[in-house]
Amino acid sequence: MKHLLTIAIVLFFIPRSASAQDEDSLRVDVKGFVDTYHAVRTESPNDWMSSRTRVRGEVRLEKGHAGAFVSANLVHNAILKDRSGFQLREAYAYYSDDHWDARAGRQIITWGVADGLRLTDIISPMDYTEFLAQDYDDIRIPVGGLRLRYSREKWCLEAVAVPVSSFFELPTDDKNPWSVGPIPIGDEPNHRLCNMEYGGRLSFFLSGIDFSLSALHTWNKMPVFCDGIGQYQRMTMLGADCSIPAGKFVIRGEFAEYLDEAQSFGRAASSNALIGIDWYAGNGWMLSAQYAHKYVASGELRNTGLATLRISKDLLHNTLSLQSFAYIDVTNGGIYNRLSADYALNDQLHATLGYDFFHADRGTFTVYDNNSEIFVKLKYSF
Amino acid sequence: MKKLLFILALCLMGATAASAQKLTGRDIIQKVKDRPDGDTRYAELELTLKKKNGTTRQRKVTSWAIDEGKDTKKMMFFTYPGDVKGTGFLTWDYDQIGKEDAKWLYLPAMKKTRRISGSSSKTDYFMGTDFTYDDMGSRHVDEDTHKLLREEVKNGHKCWVVESVPVDKHEIYSRKVSWIRQDCLTAAYVEYYDKLNKLHRVLNIDDVRKIQGFWTIQKMEMKNVQTEHSTVILVKNTQYNVKIDKALFTVAKLEKGL
Repeated sequence: MKHLLTIAIVLFFIPRSASAQDEDSLRVDVKGFVDTYHAVRTESPNDWMSSRTRVRGEVRLEKGHAGAFVSANLVHNAILKDRSGFQLREAYAYYSDDHWDARAGRQIITWGVADGLRLTDIISPMDYTEFLAQDYDDIRIPVGGLRLRYSREKWCLEAVAVPVSSFFELPTDDKNPWSVGPIPIGDEPNHRLCNMEYGGRLSFFLSGIDFSLSALHTWNKMPVFCDGIGQYQRMTMLGADCSIPAGKFVIRGEFAEYLDEAQSFGRAASSNALIGIDWYAGNGWMLSAQYAHKYVASGELRNTGLATLRISKDLLHNTLSLQSFAYIDVTNGGIYNRLSADYALNDQLHATLGYDFFHADRGTFTVYDNNSEIFVKLKYSF
Repeated sequence: MKKLLFILALCLMGATAASAQKLTGRDIIQKVKDRPDGDTRYAELELTLKKKNGTTRQRKVTSWAIDEGKDTKKMMFFTYPGDVKGTGFLTWDYDQIGKEDAKWLYLPAMKKTRRISGSSSKTDYFMGTDFTYDDMGSRHVDEDTHKLLREEVKNGHKCWVVESVPVDKHEIYSRKVSWIRQDCLTAAYVEYYDKLNKLHRVLNIDDVRKIQGFWTIQKMEMKNVQTEHSTVILVKNTQYNVKIDKALFTVAKLEKGL
């Protein structure tokens, strides 16, 4: 708790940026939040699923075209004691002018147009310590690498090199209610130059369509169980994505071919395709539906499907936000649905009440079948 | 000589009266749209939302705009409150009727840019304020039919009173009546009527000043007379013809942030 207070005090006393500062002076920008999140299982034994409090601090220093960004958490976790303490999230230096943008260091890199699903967006992996019952930005794990971008008015070319890869965090400790079980996971690949990930993305932003082409030589970041052990193998991704606005709708599409992907029976290519539609219905309503299909070139279970459905409504001049976001395991009939109501008590303080519903007899969500929970969160942003 | 001057004066008066008679509602709204405002613009906006019971919420926004022919590109970032700080909007507004605006939204928490619908949000309220996206942006002149009702003095300014009826019946108002100041071609007062033709919202603009030679709105208040919720927008640090490159108005810069 002392750590939390210390970081809060330090952040409050760092000088804030002044908007009128000229380009050559040092700009210091600080933001962050303090939040406390608690969840209790709605099924027997009605135990605590999560109980954590944290301070997030984000500091940006910029002078001229160069700068540095650091984002870190100080966490007190009452359930998962080993998750308490200081957590460095992003820490990178950058150079940015009218057309060039270079970032070097620990950073989160996002690609693609899918919402909550990953097809081409496979550089920064996911932290499943509490499965998907965390804020989306907490789930992404940064990677250590270099990102170089060259952008013009209607297109952008991006190259990435990741010598320090990160991999999925899967909880295997039985004290964690979100544990996937005591499964053996092999060693992550060594941080050697020959194990580096590299790739690029070419994006176009036009009046009627956005589209991108991408390629990445990478790893399967989620361990694949083969011969009784979770393994990481090399693979190559070739991808494309697009967004097409049409009146009140935006149609999104994404495709990724994983060449030589690790499978439970060996190696085989897989084709991954997603179609999504967003409906900006007006009056604060927003609906979004996606369907993603995976086809593996060989093996027994060749076709799998996963869908998502998001419905949200803003009320009371955007002070109350109601949302339902559901993952639907189409292949096995499972569902994970997060329902939440977020109310802004004032400009800085938000209170959220929600319910996570799980139901599955087979498939990905089976392990969480008894994890339905009610949660409450208070968040103070500064 | 006196006679000559008298005749000349009569002719001039006649010509002025004739041109005033010819001025239509559409002409006036087009004049408002064409009011000089430089090729590029910068401003900081402070939006205060006021509930009926007096409690207030605040939003702060920094914005840039650049004209490219008849089209306009805009970049906008939220600077307050903390939970939305860094959220950015990039808009390419096209003048051509029927050509959908291009819009992108950057959410810093997600580290992701989303292409969003170019048309739907026009009639939605902007971040919970009483202004719609349409009120904040530039509505095409021919999206409404305009009728000059009369001329009268409003808040001490000589105004044209113009009624505008949306062509698209799905708009949130059935008609609006604008009092357009003849001296500076800005609205002084606007009434918005709902679908039942009941007064819904009123806009008061009471602080217009010349900055760098351009007439600039400094303060405006939109009040929903049905709910008594209101929003005051203070425009600060307005600058025209600022030195900004069109490279600022790209998705890459949207993701880079302020």
